[in-house]
Amino acid sequence: MNFRDFFVVLRKEVMDATRDRRTLMRLMIPAVLMGPLMLSGLSGLIASLENQAEQREIVVSGIENAPSLRNYLERQTYTIKAPPVDYEAQLHASKLSDPVVVVPKDFEADLQNGETPQLTVVVDSSNTRARAGSRSIRGALEGFARERTALALAWRGVPGGVTQQVEIEEFDLANSQARAAQLTGMIPMFVIMAVLYGALTASLDSTAGERERGSLEPLLTNPVSHGALVAGKWGAVALLGMAVALLSALGFIPAQWLIKSDSLQAMFRFGFNEAAIFWLLQLPLATGLGALLMAMAIRSKTYKEAQAGSTLVLTAVSLSAVIPIFNPGGDAPWYYWVPGLGQSLLMNRVLRGDELLVSQLVPGIITAVVLTVVGLAYVARSMRVAAAR
Amino acid sequence: MIRIEHLSKRFVTGGGSLLKRTPKKIVQAVADVSLSAENGRITGLLGPNGAGKTTSLRMLAGLIAPDAGTVSVDGISVAEQPRQALARMGILGDAHGLYPRLTARENIAYFGRLQGMEDGAANARAEELAKLLDMTAILERRADGFSQGERMKTALARALVHDPANIVLDEPTNGLDVLATRSLREALRFLCSPAGGAKCIVFSTHIMQEVEQLCDSVTVVAHGRSVATGSVQELLAMTGETRFEDAFVKLAFKAEEQQA
Repeated sequence: MNFRDFFVVLRKEVMDATRDRRTLMRLMIPAVLMGPLMLSGLSGLIASLENQAEQREIVVSGIENAPSLRNYLERQTYTIKAPPVDYEAQLHASKLSDPVVVVPKDFEADLQNGETPQLTVVVDSSNTRARAGSRSIRGALEGFARERTALALAWRGVPGGVTQQVEIEEFDLANSQARAAQLTGMIPMFVIMAVLYGALTASLDSTAGERERGSLEPLLTNPVSHGALVAGKWGAVALLGMAVALLSALGFIPAQWLIKSDSLQAMFRFGFNEAAIFWLLQLPLATGLGALLMAMAIRSKTYKEAQAGSTLVLTAVSLSAVIPIFNPGGDAPWYYWVPGLGQSLLMNRVLRGDELLVSQLVPGIITAVVLTVVGLAYVARSMRVAAAR
Repeated sequence: MIRIEHLSKRFVTGGGSLLKRTPKKIVQAVADVSLSAENGRITGLLGPNGAGKTTSLRMLAGLIAPDAGTVSVDGISVAEQPRQALARMGILGDAHGLYPRLTARENIAYFGRLQGMEDGAANARAEELAKLLDMTAILERRADGFSQGERMKTALARALVHDPANIVLDEPTNGLDVLATRSLREALRFLCSPAGGAKCIVFSTHIMQEVEQLCDSVTVVAHGRSVATGSVQELLAMTGETRFEDAFVKLAFKAEEQQA
């Protein structure tokens, strides 16, 4: 292959693709902005949850029926609020973000008589914020119940410990970065899609588009090897994919300033180092899938036909990231061989602050090399046939 | 100098896909075409639609491999040394799409670079050709909004950028208006004159008048065969007609009778 010809084709294809400003912007804006926007939206949710916890507010319906509960909650520095009249409807419609504790009418009398009165925590599990708050409220109510039990036992001369023979303590193994990764787990997918969108137009335009315009036939009447032609086109495709990926990865750095939650901001550490690693991890995708997209498109007579084919690749890649959900037993080694899924897992490791292992990096690179070689050989072979038709 | 000898090509169409089976059909696109084009002369490939002109020229351009026959350009075999042969030809094929986002100059210079020219040389040549083809005004414009004539001129300039000794044109006047056709004709006359470099020009057409006005030699093609070769006068004498159109119909029709 002639490197001079390769660069001539590469330069022209990059220039051609970057001239198409409108398409480029349309692809780039969602690719670059989606991730950061999602991140800042998510941080808003977390901030409001934290707020809820800090405020120590509890919404109780019928608190006048339970002076002892009021006494307990006030000692725990909770502020008691009365619910709106239609709290059930509001919870269901996600307008109310606090679960509601309902106290029955004869709560106090039952308590005095040694009967077991019931407290109901009304929550709608489809209401994310209310569901998140219900855990701490249950904790407060259980504290009240424990205190009552201890008091009743003490009255009868029994030590309080008998009701709790075993003490349970929760110890969270996840470090703060791992906790953040739970929330930021979808970020890799946005970067992957950014690569694909960046590579998509160039790969279609330089194959099916070239056929549709009728410029492939004249191109092949130049004394240039098909290998150099195809490699130059592929180089431009990969380069554009990587350019959009770079923007997408860098976009997360300023996105951190939008994060409203202090604790999330502390947990989510995404600096230039992480951005650079994210970017480099996309190299197998941009090269391998770029070649794959070109190979799918060269057989299509029109741009439109090729677009339909490329949807297949895009869907397969975005679906591949879902595979671990069906197999919750942990990461299988073969995951790293799947383009898209492998990169998504690796990026998640970066977000968690875990080390990247060579055994996890190599499969993706091998997949990319195989896809590139096979894809480009196929495109080179098909080009003459395509031009002759 | 271009020599085409006993070229033949058949296409197999149909066979269908997995879902749809269609019976296979064998189409003999070119059965026996021979042509000899000398330097400093314009050689016409005249034939009705579907006679095999485009297929023959595609084989000349190395886009399709012939089943039988040989093609050589200045003594270089297209089948054996395709790149060397292509470097000696400027081809304006049936499809001559431009890159719409590139300017006329960039379109021309890109092909110049692919032909092995340096940036400066390719650009200088683009300007030179723009003067020859009267397209200086559109040189810096993007090809996106070009008219049919502007497109054709740009495509022709692109094919001529490396100053090839042999020029192959497939129905170049298709879709051009009178003025554009005239200026193309003048450009071709100049190119085959000693001042223009005494190029060997082969061009295919189905239009009688063009052949009468332009060609030094004509090869008539019908049903994939070259049926007659000679100057316009020789062909008239051969058929005993006074109008070239009648001569052409006789030649092509005779071939049809022979086939039947």
